[in-house]
Amino acid sequence: MPDNYTGPLERLDDCRWRIPRSYKPGMRVDGLIYADDRLIDAIRGDRSPEQVANVAMLPGIVRYSLAMPDIHWGYGFCIGGVAATDPEQGGVISPGGVGYDINCGVRLIRTDLSLAEARPRLTVLIDRLFATVPAGVGHGGRVHFDKREMRRLLQSGSRFVIEQGYGWDADLAVTEAHGRLDGAEPDDVSDRALERGHDQCGTLGSGNHFMEVQVVDEVHDEHAAAVMGLQAGNVCVMIHSGSRGLGYQVCEDYLKLLHRVPEKYGIELPDRQLVCAPVHSPEGQRYLGAMRAAANFAWSNRQIMTHLAREAFESVFETPADRLGMHLVYDVAHNIAKMEPYNVREQGAGSREQEETRRIRAATVRERGTEGGNEETESPNQCESPHVGDPGVRVLCVHRKGATRAFPPGHPELPEKYCSIGQPVLVPGDMGRCSWVLVGQPASMEQTFGSSCHGAGRRMSRTAAIRASAGRDIHRELLARGVYARARGRTGLEEEQPDAYKDVSQVVDVLHAAAVSRKVAKLRPVGVIKG
Amino acid sequence: MPSVSVPTGFELFDHTADLGVRAHAASRSGLVAPATAGLYACVGQLVPGGDAQPVEFVLEAAAPSNPGACANLLRDYLAEVLHVLETRRRMLIDLRVVEFSPLRLHVRAQSVSIDDTRSDAQREVKAVTYHALSIVDTRDGCAATFIVDI
Repeated sequence: MPDNYTGPLERLDDCRWRIPRSYKPGMRVDGLIYADDRLIDAIRGDRSPEQVANVAMLPGIVRYSLAMPDIHWGYGFCIGGVAATDPEQGGVISPGGVGYDINCGVRLIRTDLSLAEARPRLTVLIDRLFATVPAGVGHGGRVHFDKREMRRLLQSGSRFVIEQGYGWDADLAVTEAHGRLDGAEPDDVSDRALERGHDQCGTLGSGNHFMEVQVVDEVHDEHAAAVMGLQAGNVCVMIHSGSRGLGYQVCEDYLKLLHRVPEKYGIELPDRQLVCAPVHSPEGQRYLGAMRAAANFAWSNRQIMTHLAREAFESVFETPADRLGMHLVYDVAHNIAKMEPYNVREQGAGSREQEETRRIRAATVRERGTEGGNEETESPNQCESPHVGDPGVRVLCVHRKGATRAFPPGHPELPEKYCSIGQPVLVPGDMGRCSWVLVGQPASMEQTFGSSCHGAGRRMSRTAAIRASAGRDIHRELLARGVYARARGRTGLEEEQPDAYKDVSQVVDVLHAAAVSRKVAKLRPVGVIKG
Repeated sequence: MPSVSVPTGFELFDHTADLGVRAHAASRSGLVAPATAGLYACVGQLVPGGDAQPVEFVLEAAAPSNPGACANLLRDYLAEVLHVLETRRRMLIDLRVVEFSPLRLHVRAQSVSIDDTRSDAQREVKAVTYHALSIVDTRDGCAATFIVDI
């Protein structure tokens, strides 16, 4: 079997490539990959498009098997994959469509501090964060919950840990799903998963997880940035982590438990790691209950780390966190499955008129983007949100694996604060270049089941990155770029060095051009802590 | 791979953002020890400490007639090893394979603490995956392949 993808990829426009359902027997819908000419060659370089085609075989899949521009190979589903299934049409839920790190996600905290104000104490701040936020292999957290408390945490998510003193009430409104998925079933989380996670709530972990102190480097949408409290030159904090060992074990448990389930329901799969169960089946409901509990754990994890970051800032700047303006901008999940209503008549490529409208809108945004200046928001393009019961509206099970929710202005799930601009979409890049803040646009509801990209994706393997570091001092190189980094592991900085990742800006450009999500601000790292 | 020392019996290889392990042995039973060492090498350089305690793992195949039954048993065993490592900070030494058939994998070993002063844990292994999981006969015996999610 070749290492690269040799199947069909038909160009639809500047941003989209189709894998026709005729490619493989069993495909129920087309595959659709968002990419431009710069990215598509790299995408052909691994077998992730094959995985897009495999996902198109899942029962009940609606419209397309989608992939965002940061698509790369994953287990079962590709990373960057989005698939919506209709439970009323036999649609399935698949742990492989969520991934091992359930509700891995990103949050951003803004501050009133300018970089000029922070710089004299930046090194001390990073050292303090490094000492305060547990990170790395085998490092347990400062916060421990007994069994009864853990059960409440799995049911209530961020609300529970905020009640314990780890955060502010206002954090909830700007956390996706208010930091809690309904329907979590702690009883469906194994003792083994609880054991793996018992001391890990409030810990960063290792791998690509990080906490970064960043500066708002470019503002592309002054209005949206102002609504989020982001001002050029000001400092913010980005946290990337997930459900730690508890979530990994939930995925492990259910991949095993569901092994024979497809056979039971007469589902044929091309890859064992696409193992799945009908959403309405007892097995599907059990996985959903456990996955939601793990998602609530992940939100609690990021919430506690938010509290620890605020503590570190308070101590270094000798000012209370609220007076430093350390408000949460937003928290988004990028490994999750959720039940969401969509108008399935409109979702997808749609009519020629819709296509023409989309093409024109995309061209307009692209044109404005190339001008390079600040883009003032025009009157927000409010979406007509789907309502359950309306003709054509169905509640779908939307899998996002390495993809971020990107709801447009006016969506009823958005906090009032963001109703006019759309949902903040947080897209971390590498530790040397930049990360992005975007906002969801109406085309996301029409085309991508309300989804956008989640990151850069690796371009080097871990060993290649270590080899490329031979004779170099990555820490010193980062310092030369104005980034002070601390890492627990000896090879952590080498494996995660900037060159190991693709340029996240190329990924973001595609979805900006496709009018799925719009650029608001570019964030540049100035301090990093890694596991 | 510069970050780990690779003793005879297994090798690590790149797999996208993750790592793969290929273990070699003269027999199927002989694969268990190098596969265990390979899993540890994915984490980093782990040095056994003291406080030895006997442990035993008995894994039963869910589908013994499945051609991949032995590979699945090995994966399930490695998931146990990972669990012991992550939750108890202990590793296995002196492994003895009592039985490794398509029906059952039975392993006895000593569990010891990890010597944190001499160990260098670099990576967190999320799981031993099912991707590319195999045990195959080779000219010299057997080879097992598995991929870990980092």
